[in-house]
Amino acid sequence: MNFRTVTVISLCLTVGLAWILESGAADVFLEATRPDFQKIPLGVAGIQNSGGSDSLEGQIKLGGRIEEVLKADVRRSLVFSLVDLPSVGIKVSDLGTGPDPAFKQAAEHGVSVIVWGQAGMKSGDKDADVNMDGYVYDAGSDEVVGGKRYVGSTTVVRLMAHRFADELVFRYTGEPGIARTKIAYVSEQGSARELFVMDYDGYEPRQLTADGFLNLMPRWSPDRRFLVFTAYRNRNSQDIDMIELATGKRWTLVSLGGLNITPALSPDGNFLAFASSYEGNSELYRLDTRTKALQRLTVNASGDLSPSWSLSGRELAFTSDRSGGPQVFLMSADGTNVRRLTFEGDYNAAPAWSPRGNWIAYICRTPKKEYKLCLITPDGQKRVQLTAGPGVDDSPSWSPDGRHIVFSSTADGKSQIYMINADGKDLERITFTGTHNSAPTWSPAS
Amino acid sequence: MKRAYGTIYLPLILAVVVLGAPGCSKKAVQSGGDTQSSQQGMAKGSGSSGSSVSGSSESSASGSSDGATSGGVSPNFPDTALSGRDASSGLRGLDKSPSEERVGNGGNTLLAKADPGSAGRQMDEIRAEQSASTAAGLRDVFFAYDSFSISEEGRQALSRNAEWMKSNSGAQLKIEGHCDERGTSAYNLVLGEKRAKSVRNYLVELGVAANHLSVVSYGKERPFCKEHAESCYSQNRRGHVVVKTGK
Repeated sequence: MNFRTVTVISLCLTVGLAWILESGAADVFLEATRPDFQKIPLGVAGIQNSGGSDSLEGQIKLGGRIEEVLKADVRRSLVFSLVDLPSVGIKVSDLGTGPDPAFKQAAEHGVSVIVWGQAGMKSGDKDADVNMDGYVYDAGSDEVVGGKRYVGSTTVVRLMAHRFADELVFRYTGEPGIARTKIAYVSEQGSARELFVMDYDGYEPRQLTADGFLNLMPRWSPDRRFLVFTAYRNRNSQDIDMIELATGKRWTLVSLGGLNITPALSPDGNFLAFASSYEGNSELYRLDTRTKALQRLTVNASGDLSPSWSLSGRELAFTSDRSGGPQVFLMSADGTNVRRLTFEGDYNAAPAWSPRGNWIAYICRTPKKEYKLCLITPDGQKRVQLTAGPGVDDSPSWSPDGRHIVFSSTADGKSQIYMINADGKDLERITFTGTHNSAPTWSPAS
Repeated sequence: MKRAYGTIYLPLILAVVVLGAPGCSKKAVQSGGDTQSSQQGMAKGSGSSGSSVSGSSESSASGSSDGATSGGVSPNFPDTALSGRDASSGLRGLDKSPSEERVGNGGNTLLAKADPGSAGRQMDEIRAEQSASTAAGLRDVFFAYDSFSISEEGRQALSRNAEWMKSNSGAQLKIEGHCDERGTSAYNLVLGEKRAKSVRNYLVELGVAANHLSVVSYGKERPFCKEHAESCYSQNRRGHVVVKTGK
C-alpha cells in the first residue's frame, strides 16, 4: 500500500467518523449476527399505568400488557439480553421521565440499557385513544438518550409495544427489527384450507380467503402488499393467484393447466419463479413480471419444485427428485449451473435461503424417518439438524433478520406453527387454536 | 514533496471525502422514514391493481377467476419492488423530546372477501361427485409409502373402473392424487400428481379414452383420515377416482 492510498483511506476514515458524530448518529453499529456478537443487556423497569382513579377495568392492565409484549419482543430480537432488574437487586422507586437513581446501580451490574414508560387512556371513555410513552436510559452515557410517544386506538396496543421494540433494535443496530413483521399461513376451516395473516408472535390472526377449497403455500411480495399462492379453480386444476392484503382483491397470475405450485417472487419483484407440470412433469419456470415472458428453467423427466431465491436474486435453491428421492439443488436464476447441494439422507426438500445468505433451511428426513428442520451452508460444507423427535416438520421460512425460522410441525399432534432461532435455541410454538395451521411464510421487514 | 501531493490529490481526496464519507459509515440512525406510510402498513397502495382485474376479482372468491389471458399469464402484475429507502420505514429513531406519533393499524383492514355462497357451492359439488362415484361403484387405488407404482390390487380396482367406463362412455373421470401427512406439503403435491398420472396411464392402457380422464393432485391437503398412524396413512396414499360432475 503506498502513501497516497494510506492518505486517502485515513482521511476517509477520519472524516467519515467526524460525519457520524456530526450527524448525531454517534452510535456504534453492531453486526448482531457475528458469532462473537455479545447481546446488549437490557432491563425493562416497567410500563406503568398513567390512568387516574377513573380507570376502566382494561386500562388497569394496560401497562402490564404492553410490558409483556415489549419484553417478549426484546427477547426475540436476539440483539438484547433481557435482564430481570429485581432479580439482580435493582429496585426502581420512581419512574418519571428522568432516570431513577437505581439506574446507575444497574449500570454497575452490567446493565447497558434500561427502558421504562407509562400507558393510559385519555379519559374514562372506552373508545378513547391509548397513550404510551417509552424512555431509554443508556448506561454508557449515563443519560436518557430519548423516548417515544405513541397514541392510537385500543386495537393497536400490541403494535405500540412492537414499534417501540423495533426502535430499540434500530437504535442499537441500525436494522429495522422484526417485531412489526407478519406471518402468512394456511389454516384449515372445515375441510377447506384458507390463507391467514398474523403478527410474527402469533397474535392478531386475520382471514384473507374464504372460498371453501384449497389455498396453499403463500409467499410475500417484497413490498409486503401482496401474497402469491396456489389456488384450486373449480377443485380440478391449480392456478397461481395474487391477493392484495389491504383490499382483499384477488386475481389469477398464472393459469397454465396441470400442477402450478410453490410460487416465489424474486427479491426485486421482477421475477416470479414457480413449478408447473403443464408441459408434462413438474418443472421450474421464471416469469418476467414486466414483460410477462415465461422461461423454462429445468428440463428433465423428474420433479422440480420449491424455488427459493438467494438475496441477490442471482441464484435459486430448489427441490428435485432427478437423483431418486427429493434433494436440494442450486442453480443460477437463468437455469444454468445446476448442482446438487444435499447428499445426507434420501429425502431433503423445501429449501429456504436465508436473507443473510449464509444458510439454507430445509426439511431433512432422518434415519428414523422423521421429517425435521435442517440447515446447510450454500457451499454444502456445514450441515446442522435443528429439531429432533417425533412429528413432521414442514415449510421453513426465515425472519427478515435471518435470526429465526418459522415452520409447521405435528410435534404436538395437530399441525401448528413454531419458530426457532437459527442456532437451534428458543423453540417456541406460536399458534394454539384450530385443527391445522401450516405453510407459514415470514414477511419482509417493514 | 508533501505539498505537491497535497496540491495534486486535494481534489481527489475531497471527492472521496464528499462521496465516500457516508459510505464509510453505516446507515444513519435518522432515516427520515415515512412514518405515515408505514403506519398504514399494508393499506399502502390499495387500488393499484388496476381496473382490468375488477371483474375477475369479483368472482375470485369462488375460485373461478378468469383473469389470466390466453398465454396463461395475467397482464396484471403490479410492481412489488421495495424501494431501498423503505428499508426501515416508519422508524423515526428516539427523540429527547419526542413528539406524538399516531399508530394506525393498516392490518385491521384485512378482511376476507367471504362469499358464503361459494363455500356452500363447493360442498354441494363435492357431494354430487361423491354420490355419483358411489353409485358408479368406482374403486380407488392405494399406494405404498413414497411410491406411485400401482399394485396388483390397484390393477384389479382399475379394471373394474375401466369396465364401468365402457358402459358409460359419455362419463368424465377425475383422478385425485392424495398422500399421507409425512413429507413436505410441496413435494407431496408432486407425488400426488405422479400417483394420479399412474392411475390415468393404466386406465388408458385398459382402453379408456384419455380425453375422458383428468388428473389433479391434492397432496396431503385433503386427507381422508387425520390420525397420525399407519392405519390412517395407508388410506391417505390414494388415487381417488370420481365421476367428474362439474366443469
